[in-house]
Amino acid sequence: MFETKSLMVLIPALPLAAAIIVGLLGRRWLKEYSHVPVVLALAGSCVFSLLLLKDISNREPDAKQVGVEVTHTLWTWAAIPAAGVTTPQIKATPNFQIDITLRADPLTCMMLPMVTFIATLVAIYAMGYMHGDPGYWRFYAYVGLFVFSMTMLVSVSNFALLYVFWEAVGVCSYLLIGFWFEKPEAAAAGKKAFLVNRVGDFGFAFGLFLIWVSFGTLNFHDAGDVQGVLGQTLLANPARYAEIITGSVALAIPLLLMVGACGKSAQFPLHVWLPDAMEGPTPVSALIHAATMVTAGVYMVTRCSPLFMLDPRAQLVVACIGGFTALLAGLIALTQTDLKRVLAYSTVSQLGYMFLALGTGSLAGIVAGMFHLFTHAFFKALLFLGAGSVMHGMHHIIDMRRFSGLRRVMPWTCLTFLIGSLALAGIVPLAGFWSKDQVLAAVHDRAHDGGPFVYLYYSAVLTAFLTAFYTARAFFMTFMGPLVVPHEVGDHAHESPPAMVFPLVVLAICSIFVGITFDHSLGDFIVRTPSLACTLVAGEHGLEHHFHWDIAAISTVVAVLGIAIAAYFYLGDRRQINALTRIMQGVRLYGLSNRKFFFDEIYHVLFVLPLKGLAALSYLIDRWLVDGLVNLCGWIPRAVGAVLRNIQTGVVQFYALAMVLGLALLIGTLLVWKVG
Amino acid sequence: MFELIERLQHNTLQVSLPGFQPELAICATIVLLLLGRMLPFTRWIDTLWIALGGTLVALYLARPWQHLAVGTDVAATPLFDGMLQLDTFTIYFRGVLLLFVALFLIFSRLSGIPDREDAVDIYALVLGSTLGMMLMASANHLFVVFMGIEMASVPSYALAGVLKGRRISSEAALKYAIFGAGTAGVMLYGISLLAGALGTLHLPTMVNQLADMPEAEFAMRQTVLLSGGLMLMVGLAFKLSAVPFHFWCPDVFEGAPAEVDAFLSVASKAAALALLVRVAIGFGHVPTSSVAAVDRPTSAVVRTVAFAAQPAVDAPVAAKAADDKAETPATVPVPLAKSRRFMVGLISLLAAVTATFGNLAAYSQTNLKRLLAYSTIAHAGYMMMPVAAALAVVGRDPELARESISAICFYIGTYLFMNLGAFAVVAFVRNETRSEEIRDYAGMIRRSPGLVVCFGIILVSLLGLPPMSGFAAKLLVFKSLVTDPQLYTLLIIGGLNTVLSLVYYLRVVKVMTIDAEPQDRVLPSFSMLTPGGVFITLMTIPVAGLGIWWDPLNVLAQQAVRQLFS
Repeated sequence: MFETKSLMVLIPALPLAAAIIVGLLGRRWLKEYSHVPVVLALAGSCVFSLLLLKDISNREPDAKQVGVEVTHTLWTWAAIPAAGVTTPQIKATPNFQIDITLRADPLTCMMLPMVTFIATLVAIYAMGYMHGDPGYWRFYAYVGLFVFSMTMLVSVSNFALLYVFWEAVGVCSYLLIGFWFEKPEAAAAGKKAFLVNRVGDFGFAFGLFLIWVSFGTLNFHDAGDVQGVLGQTLLANPARYAEIITGSVALAIPLLLMVGACGKSAQFPLHVWLPDAMEGPTPVSALIHAATMVTAGVYMVTRCSPLFMLDPRAQLVVACIGGFTALLAGLIALTQTDLKRVLAYSTVSQLGYMFLALGTGSLAGIVAGMFHLFTHAFFKALLFLGAGSVMHGMHHIIDMRRFSGLRRVMPWTCLTFLIGSLALAGIVPLAGFWSKDQVLAAVHDRAHDGGPFVYLYYSAVLTAFLTAFYTARAFFMTFMGPLVVPHEVGDHAHESPPAMVFPLVVLAICSIFVGITFDHSLGDFIVRTPSLACTLVAGEHGLEHHFHWDIAAISTVVAVLGIAIAAYFYLGDRRQINALTRIMQGVRLYGLSNRKFFFDEIYHVLFVLPLKGLAALSYLIDRWLVDGLVNLCGWIPRAVGAVLRNIQTGVVQFYALAMVLGLALLIGTLLVWKVG
Repeated sequence: MFELIERLQHNTLQVSLPGFQPELAICATIVLLLLGRMLPFTRWIDTLWIALGGTLVALYLARPWQHLAVGTDVAATPLFDGMLQLDTFTIYFRGVLLLFVALFLIFSRLSGIPDREDAVDIYALVLGSTLGMMLMASANHLFVVFMGIEMASVPSYALAGVLKGRRISSEAALKYAIFGAGTAGVMLYGISLLAGALGTLHLPTMVNQLADMPEAEFAMRQTVLLSGGLMLMVGLAFKLSAVPFHFWCPDVFEGAPAEVDAFLSVASKAAALALLVRVAIGFGHVPTSSVAAVDRPTSAVVRTVAFAAQPAVDAPVAAKAADDKAETPATVPVPLAKSRRFMVGLISLLAAVTATFGNLAAYSQTNLKRLLAYSTIAHAGYMMMPVAAALAVVGRDPELARESISAICFYIGTYLFMNLGAFAVVAFVRNETRSEEIRDYAGMIRRSPGLVVCFGIILVSLLGLPPMSGFAAKLLVFKSLVTDPQLYTLLIIGGLNTVLSLVYYLRVVKVMTIDAEPQDRVLPSFSMLTPGGVFITLMTIPVAGLGIWWDPLNVLAQQAVRQLFS
């Protein structure tokens, strides 16, 4: 019914159109109906994404092609021809051309339905959650803009455009974190996210410069005789990569890209912005800061996996960053009392898992990382929306010490949150179990060779335990025990409206089934992505499926153990718990975790204070030196103007005299210059 | 003898006049406007429609869409015995000018500057000035250069004083006129020096003379030639408002209404740039196609006839010949090389000083029109840079020189919308608040969000940040500067200037969005659904759109330059 190419255009075009409509008409006319265009557009995008998925999955790669890809060039954005003739001083530069090209390949087609599906549900959910907010239309305009940017991010076929939309999702994230900009915390959190992301983008930009210098193009695909960075020509003959980028450049490019990924996907040491980003409306936390935008880094690293394959040290760095972040965030999440912050650190931790999987450098690992991304999107969105439902009922109070036993007043939220928690904890047969199993298996395979991966494997298992513990803890604190509600709520505690419960139920069903359903098929599908089908990544054999009984058993035991201990701590005898808590607090570990290992404070001393000092110094220089110069320069024309203004119409002779004198000066200079 | 007259007649009627149709249409419109003033029917017909109709007819006759289409091979033709040059470059600038005038006429009506009484005068002056500008864009002879500049300038002086009652306006007009007259005199003297030294005013012949001049003779005449060239540049620098001949610009812009400022800043500058390109080529590039006719023709007519008789030497062949003829330093005649170096140095210096001065002076402005005046000065500096680049590389690679000039064509195409949009905002806000001071724009976003968003986009584009069209334009200009090591200094100065300009453009945005609304005046709320709002929106769309999709304009710009340097 639809051409592949028109589908590729329609998927991002619909949310953009909806965002424009709401942006223009929302404030005056649409008002409380602002959700209509966005929900319709997102649902349409979702349907088209599924059609595109079907289309791409029906294609078989022909013998000459590596993987399956369809590219569609919309227009040429920049075309700057190279210098025509070269001289010894001027080196030949390649043509600088950036086409607005969309691509459809299995990786893109995996991301698109996921993004648009969750976005649709979140948009429906926000109809209830954001109801009555004065910025209702603004919220939906931003969400439309975000989904446009995110779908473009995964569809573009050029590093420069990837960067553009990388920034665009960042801007949307910034706008939505600071959505309630009247609140100082929200404004500060937006600023923090923005600044921390700049650090990552700085590295990313340098990575792109290096790619441009080495490859002479920023295209993914081949266009004409330009061989794209991830194009068929290079992928078919991966040995060429080692010729193009050698030595330190081969290490620098992936590491710089990883810096960018760390910023966007909140990995150590740039993880500090994500928990603060929870100041934004909860549907945004679910959509942007759990399911989609923060996974852009994982997507990008996967997309560029041939570049990461060239140097094992790069893979090791990715794995170590991922493993360490997973453990660190898991430890921090143990003691957080803000429900959304627990989930935020859990997101950081799970993203670390994904990077750990990507860092194994094997096809199984990359597939596992993407699979975990996929399942995580569903259950983490579910958990955030559940937390939002709690907030909705508790009048925006989210401190878990202030309420408990909510299962009685919010049965649907409780049930769906339980499913999400079990999926996150990795209990068989829910979604998280299958993907976590794949990740652990991939790391375990690398650990056979010994070396750092052994430690990474154990830390991953420990993280799985921590995950189960803090998830169960959050669930028990919120929903179990005696019914306690904050006094602000009084007896108005209630279940959320149907618009909010419906997405919860859909996501809960997904969280149960996406793992077992796509355990093998997702991997089989995305390995046909050109970047992954290349022999550099896929090796000789391609993807093989093994079910690791041992690992499944270990992870299940660990998860159950975590839940059991949490149950003992939070449901058991009060007196024992209090004693234990005192011991924990006595050894200061609790404080360390609760204060997030003091990262904010360390960064404040290491970066913020010196920069403030620098800023003060710059201010002084600016104040006295630059301003002085500027004022001087501003003063000259003013002085001349004042002189001119004072000479009224009678003194035209002065003009003539000034002009002749000026010219005489010029000619005099000329003569002297000629003689000299 | 008769044969000569017959050829002349043929040349005028069959070649020159058909190529001159748009100018003739403008002439006819002016006559109609002035006649209409005496006849009673103007009471019923709005003169705007006559002026606008005439402009659109001229635009239709100029047919830029036809001549600039890819793949058409219309040969460049000299008109009126080589007085004018009709090539794609002429056609592009004609198109830009006429499109601008059409938009300007609509804009001035919407903002209500010409009242019922004055409208005819204003339209006649604008069209008269445009006629001069069109001549400037096609000038191929220093006599036409002078005539075009004067034809464009004299009506501008009157336009600057169009608000008769205001003293500041009259003073601005007078200053403008005096400066104009002074520089015109200097330029004329320079032209006469050049005529004396080279024996001709026809630009291609001049450069041939220069190239063929024996070195000893050149050394003797060098002073005269350089002085002549310098004085000629004075006239051009005045039209471009290049430092140090810019003093009129801020005063005139502050005194004249914003509508006239828009006209002066875009149309006048576009024509002056086209003329600068023509003159620069005339001093630095020997046309291949006229090499055969070098033997000191006694009359321009003979040479023109020789053109007509040689259809084989048409543009594509010539262009190919030019490509093959990448000069080696040894083959460039010394006088030509010196002339080039002189022009590159002079234009680079003017460009660097102009851009830097304009940007620095804009810092301390409190009046928005004055700020925009300095901004146009700075932009003139940027736009002059590729001319220097083209002359620097023309001996090595004419294709590269063409690329450089196409950057100017692109720049002016985006600059048209940016400046027209900016001055439209100033004019419409003035109608609401009676103020052009920046401080009166404070907090405007609260009541007029659409206007502030549009103006913000325009300012960011003027500053040159992606994804606005100003970025693309600046990128192309700077790209033309990386072609030759002697331009690197200019490139660095250009880059630093962009940084400098960031502050004062964004200061306006900051005042509009962050600052609190003033308490002591009526706060306007400007709706984007008024005709003025729609006009501003229509100007903003290309400003943003050409940044996202700039290939079409880029292709046009490249078509515009394909017949240069041949």
